[in-house]
Amino acid sequence: MSTIIQAQQLSKSFGRHQVLHSLNFSIEAGEPIALIGPNGAGKTTLFSILCGFLKQDHGNIEIFGQKPGSEGLSGRVSALPQDAMLDPNFSIGTQLTFYGQLQGMNKATAVAETRRVLALVDLADYISQKATVLSHGMRKRVAIAQALLGQPELVMLDEPTAGLDPVNALQVRQIIANLTSEATFMISSHNIFELERLCGTVLYLEHGKLVQQRSVQQGAIGYLSLQLENADAALVLNVLRQLPGVNSVENAQKNEFAIHYDRELAPDLDISLIGVLRAQGWQYRSLTQGRTLEQQLFAVANG
Amino acid sequence: MFATAFSFPRFCRNTWLITRFELFRLFGSPRGWFALAAFAVIWFLILRYPIFEASAALQQADTQAMLSRVFGMIGMYKLMAWPLPELIVYWLISLVLLPFAVVVTSADQTSSDRSRGTLRFLTLRTSRDSIFFGRFLGQWLVQGLLIIISLVATLGMAVWRQHSLSLAALEAALIMGLNLFIVLAPFTALMALCSVLVRSSKLAVCLAIVGGGVLIGLISWAGWYFPDVLRLLQYMPGAQVPALLSNQGWSTFKEVTLPLAQTVVLLALGRIALQGKSL
Repeated sequence: MSTIIQAQQLSKSFGRHQVLHSLNFSIEAGEPIALIGPNGAGKTTLFSILCGFLKQDHGNIEIFGQKPGSEGLSGRVSALPQDAMLDPNFSIGTQLTFYGQLQGMNKATAVAETRRVLALVDLADYISQKATVLSHGMRKRVAIAQALLGQPELVMLDEPTAGLDPVNALQVRQIIANLTSEATFMISSHNIFELERLCGTVLYLEHGKLVQQRSVQQGAIGYLSLQLENADAALVLNVLRQLPGVNSVENAQKNEFAIHYDRELAPDLDISLIGVLRAQGWQYRSLTQGRTLEQQLFAVANG
Repeated sequence: MFATAFSFPRFCRNTWLITRFELFRLFGSPRGWFALAAFAVIWFLILRYPIFEASAALQQADTQAMLSRVFGMIGMYKLMAWPLPELIVYWLISLVLLPFAVVVTSADQTSSDRSRGTLRFLTLRTSRDSIFFGRFLGQWLVQGLLIIISLVATLGMAVWRQHSLSLAALEAALIMGLNLFIVLAPFTALMALCSVLVRSSKLAVCLAIVGGGVLIGLISWAGWYFPDVLRLLQYMPGAQVPALLSNQGWSTFKEVTLPLAQTVVLLALGRIALQGKSL
């Protein structure tokens, strides 16, 4: 795999407020990357620097070996900037075609590309409409469509589902999931559950510091995440801890249990567990291999 | 190997695409059509009343002699030497009014796109230089087209009056058109700069007017103590307009150096400002 983003000692301040503190990280091409952190953690600032909208105060950052905002990145890197809107005076088709031409396409190719990306976000019928007549969710999808014009190698999406209803958010997630084989996606959000479904690598920012960079351990050996319907937590803990191969069981949240076990001793623990649930008459909502992203992040963050 | 950071052909291509899009903004969008309609109404009123009435008066030998003396006293003795009365009034009105009109009409080169975030979509695809110079060129060309339209209308009015048009009148119209195009360049560049510095067209207009007023005030104030400072007033945008009115024919092009130099300086400042701006 090749390195697509390389950041060294990256810092940014607004006045006296330091937003990013000496970030060092590198991103490889491939699986989608999540940029996670609470509000105010510096995600959008980092995104803006990556897109060339802002300049860092200190440090160095390169995308495909070039500085963010370089003309050489045009067409290779695309982005959904947070809260950016299209020009209300022109149809979305006119603007996307214009963007395609700026990326180097001829008019006919740009028109065809515009139709293709609008079809991807299920808005092909709106090509002649202005952005002002579209709903918030539709505008977001148009903004995602502009990020897919051409064949970008890196697509950066800042809060792609923020403010969307569940149906639209699901649609956006599906669009991203369908395209992950064609480009490397970098997605910023504070919605951990959303990113868990999409991303293979996580950058976790807190107070402008990179708390951790790690691969998401979906399907990791030795962990099961169990969510039950109403159950007596003490009884569940007692029963599960007695299962062969189980090292520990935590009741992190109400009705949610994280099971740490020895994969060699209990290779089929998930099957045994379902048998136990049935025997005890406990209804379950989900049983997942590996720890959730939330458990991974906060287990480390909490030491 | 990766592409180099700067490609001149790509810069030229994208700058021209942005320039063309500005022309499309005027001639291909309802908002542009509305602006054109407003332009047509204003020029109809200017042609119908000041130009038509004044040109009728200028055909009187007594009036011509009297105005020649008056303009001569204020150094514009060559004004009456232009071949058509309609063109004389057009020249006078355009040189005074168009710079102000340009301050208003070209105030939104990048400001609202920046506040809306649209500029982010553009900078992901092209350089800030292409956007800045493309928008400037687009606005400047729009003004050029409007100058041509208004000149053609003025000549049309003259033809309607005298049923003919001399080659000298056509030549004069060409000279006036080119001169006006050059006169408006620094004002368009000034608004390109102001548009970068603030986030709305209204603020850009205010900045241009207030900034210009404050600058003139400061120079005048300093001139009380250091009279040589007053020379700076000769370098303000539009400072060559009185000299233009004092000349006639191709000799008016003696005055092009100053506006072109002002344009280059203002564009350079605007470029530097946009390069350093957060979007």
